[in-house]
Amino acid sequence: MVDIVSYGGQEFRNMFAAGSSWLEKSVPDVNAINVFPVPDGDTGTNMFLTLKATMEEADRARSENVSIMAKAMAQGALMGARGNSGVILSQFFRGLAKGLDNQEQLTGKDWAEALSEASRIAYKGLSQPVEGTMLTVIRDASTAALVAAQADPEDLVKVASAAVDAARESVARTPMLLPVLREAGVVDAGGQGIYILLEGMFRYLKGEVDEMQYRKPQLVTADLPGGSRMAEMSAEREDPYGYCTNFLLEGHKLNPDKIRKKLESKGQSLVVVGDEHIIRVHIHTYDPGGIIQYATVLGTLHQLQIQNMDDQHVGFMEMQHEKQQPLDIAVVAVAAGSGMKEVFKSLGSAAVVFGGQTMNPSVQEILEAVDAVPSQRVIVLPNNKNIVLTASQVQALTAKEVVIIPTKTVPQGIAALIAFSYEGTLEENRKLMEDALASVKTVEVTRAVRDVQINGLKIEKGQAIGIIDDKDIVAAGNGDTEVLFEAIGKACADSVRVVTIYYGADVGAPQAEQVAQKMRDMYLGRQVETVFGNQPHYSYIVSLE
Amino acid sequence: MVKIICDSTADVTSELAQKYGITTVPLNIHFGNEAYRDRVDLTAEEFYKKLVESKVHPSTSAPAPGLFVEAYKKLSKETNEILVITISGGISATAESAIQAKGIVGDIVKIEVIDSLQTIGGELLLVIKAAEAAESGAKLAEITALVKDAIPRVHSYMVFDTLEYLQKGGRIGKAQAWLGGLLKFNPILTLKNGVIHPVTRAWGREQSIDALVGLIKAIPKLEGLVIEDATTPDELEILADRLSEIYPKGKMYRSRVSPAIGVHVGPHVLAALALEGK
Repeated sequence: MVDIVSYGGQEFRNMFAAGSSWLEKSVPDVNAINVFPVPDGDTGTNMFLTLKATMEEADRARSENVSIMAKAMAQGALMGARGNSGVILSQFFRGLAKGLDNQEQLTGKDWAEALSEASRIAYKGLSQPVEGTMLTVIRDASTAALVAAQADPEDLVKVASAAVDAARESVARTPMLLPVLREAGVVDAGGQGIYILLEGMFRYLKGEVDEMQYRKPQLVTADLPGGSRMAEMSAEREDPYGYCTNFLLEGHKLNPDKIRKKLESKGQSLVVVGDEHIIRVHIHTYDPGGIIQYATVLGTLHQLQIQNMDDQHVGFMEMQHEKQQPLDIAVVAVAAGSGMKEVFKSLGSAAVVFGGQTMNPSVQEILEAVDAVPSQRVIVLPNNKNIVLTASQVQALTAKEVVIIPTKTVPQGIAALIAFSYEGTLEENRKLMEDALASVKTVEVTRAVRDVQINGLKIEKGQAIGIIDDKDIVAAGNGDTEVLFEAIGKACADSVRVVTIYYGADVGAPQAEQVAQKMRDMYLGRQVETVFGNQPHYSYIVSLE
Repeated sequence: MVKIICDSTADVTSELAQKYGITTVPLNIHFGNEAYRDRVDLTAEEFYKKLVESKVHPSTSAPAPGLFVEAYKKLSKETNEILVITISGGISATAESAIQAKGIVGDIVKIEVIDSLQTIGGELLLVIKAAEAAESGAKLAEITALVKDAIPRVHSYMVFDTLEYLQKGGRIGKAQAWLGGLLKFNPILTLKNGVIHPVTRAWGREQSIDALVGLIKAIPKLEGLVIEDATTPDELEILADRLSEIYPKGKMYRSRVSPAIGVHVGPHVLAALALEGK
C-alpha cells in the first residue's frame, strides 16, 4: 500500500504511465478480439499509441499540479489519437481534465468525479454512442467509483478498486449489449483496453510496480450463458468424435438386450431397438469395424452407414454459418471432383450437388439441395447437357422460385457464377448469367468409350478425344496432352484472354503446370492458370475466355 | 464564404484544392512503428512502392481530433461557416474525430460534419459539389442539404486484383463471401450505405474495364464522373477513352487512389465513380 491518500501531478502521471505499460503487454490480445466497429484488428495498437502520445505530453508538462498534468495529457491525446478507440480515449482524457480543473491534488472523490465527467464527455462527443463498447465500460466504472467515493471520499485506492471491479464486470457483459460481439463470441476490444488501463493504474496505487514487470494482464472473457462461443468451439474441437455407425440387423432370435450389453462398452450414444427379427443399431465408436464384425455373425446388415463425426461436425458448422446469413438468391451447382466443388463453393455457391458426365444426379438430389439452401430464390447450374433436363424438372417440384441456367460445361457454369450480381434480381441475374455463357469456350479431354468415326476422325476405344463446347469432337490421339493442344488450337481465338486449366484426378500438378507453361509460351500475353479440379473421366477441362 | 474541409481519402488533386480553397486533413498510415500522414509525409509513388516491398502490412487510422481542431481554428479566421465531408463512418473513425473536434472548438465557428458514406472519388464528387455551391455564395445550411441529397445518388465501383488487402485491413464487409477463391478473377465492389458490398466479378483486366464501363453506362443520367487508378495510368487512359462515349472527357475528373485507401485495396485498383443526375 502506498502510504499517501492524496496524489500530486507526478503521481497522477505515474499512475497513467503504469496503466499504459500494463496495456502495452496486452496489445496483441486486444487486437485479436477487435470486431467492432470495423474488424481491423488494431484497437489495442491504437489505444496504446494514443496513450503513448498522451504520456509524452505529460512528460513535457513536469508539473506537481494534477490539473495541469491532466490538461497536458488531454492535449496529448487530442493530437495523438489513433483510430476509433483513440478518438474516444481523447474524449475520456478531455473529460478527466475538465473534471480535475483547478485540482492541485487527487483524492478518491476527485478521481470518481473526473471519471464521471470523462464518461459524460465521451458519450457527448459521439454522434451515435453505442452500448456494449468502451463507452459503457467507462460509464459503469465511473458510477461505481462515485458510489465508493461517497463512503470513502479520501481513499483513492478504494475508489480505483471499485472502478476496476465494475469495469471488469462491464467488459464481461458487453456481448449481451452488442450483437456483433455475441456472434463472434468476444468481449469489446476497446472495453477490454479501458479495463486493463484502469487495472494497471490500480495496481500501481497498490504498490505492485515490481510485480507488474513480470506479469501480464488477465483478460476478461465473455459472460454469456454457457460461456463464449469461441470457448465452446475449441472445446468441441478437442473432443474426438469417432464414427457414427448406424445399421439394421436382420436375423433370427435376435436378443436386443444381449446386443446392447455387448456393445455398451464399445462406444457412446448407443441405441439398440427392435425385436427378435430386426434390430436398429446406432453407436458412436472409434472402432466401427469391430461392431460390424460382431453384428455380421448375428445376421445380415442393411442400410449400413458409417460417418466420420468430425466431418459431420464441420458440416454442421458450415450449416450454422449459412443459417446466419440468409441469402437473397442462392446458387446450386452440379459438379464432380473435390477441386471443382471447392471452386464453386469459393465463388459463392450455396450448395454443390455431386454429378457430371455419366454420373447424372437424380431430380431428387437436386431438389433436396434447392430446398435446403437458405433462400426462396434459387439459381441452378447443371453444368452438363443431360443434367439441364433433370434440373428443369425441379421447378415443378419445389415451392421456391427456381431459375435454371442451361450451362452445359463446368467452365460455362463458372463463367455464369462469376457474372452473378449480388445486387441483381433473379431475372436480371438470369440475363447476366446467360449472357456470360457466350463469353466462354470449353475444351475437354476425355477417353472414347467405343470405336467411332466422326468429323473425319477415326477414333479407337480408349483413345483420348478433345471436345469443344461439349459437342464437337475435334481431335483424337493416344496422348492427352497432344490432343489437348490440338483441340485448343482449333478453339482458341484471338479474343481469348484468360485460359484456366482444370486438371483431373489422373493428372499430376507438375504435368499440368508444364502444359500451362507451354500454353503461356504459345499464346503470349494471355493469362494461363491451373486449378486442380480432381474431376473423374476428364483429364483436362479448359476454359477459354 | 463557406469553407470546405475533407479528409485525404477524397483524393482532391492539388489543382482542385487550390481552385476551391479546400482544406484536406490527412489520415495516418502506419508501417509497424513508422507513422506517416497520408499524402503529406508519403507521396503516392513512395507509398505504393513501399506497400509492395514492405514486410509488415501497413494499417491506417483516422486523423486525431486535434488535427480537425487546428483546421477549424485556422479557418475560423477567414469564415464563420465550415462544412466537413468525411470518408464513410462504416470504414473509418474520421467522422467521429471531426465531430469531437467540433465539440471542442465550441461556438467560434459554425461547423457541419457530413459522413459521405463514400470515399475516394465518391467523396470527391460530393466535395466538388459543395465547393461549387460555396463559391456561388450558398450558405452552410443550403450546401449541407445539397450534399445530403446527393449522397444516395453516388455510384462507386472499384475493380480489385485481390481482396487480400481488404481482408488484412478488416474492411472486407459483405465481400467476405468472395474470399479464399481458387480462381483469379477480379472482384468489383461498391460502397453501399457506407459498407463494402460485392457487385460482380470479371476475368482479367480487360473484362474488368468492360464491366466498369457497363456499370457506369447503366446509370440513367450522369451529373459527375471521377475515374481513378493507383499505379496503372495506362488503364486509366483506356477507361477514360471508353467512358468518353457517354461523358465528355474534359469534364471527367481524374485522380489517384490515396495511400490511406491503397493500404486496403492494393496497388492495382481501378475505380469509376459517378454522381447520378436528377
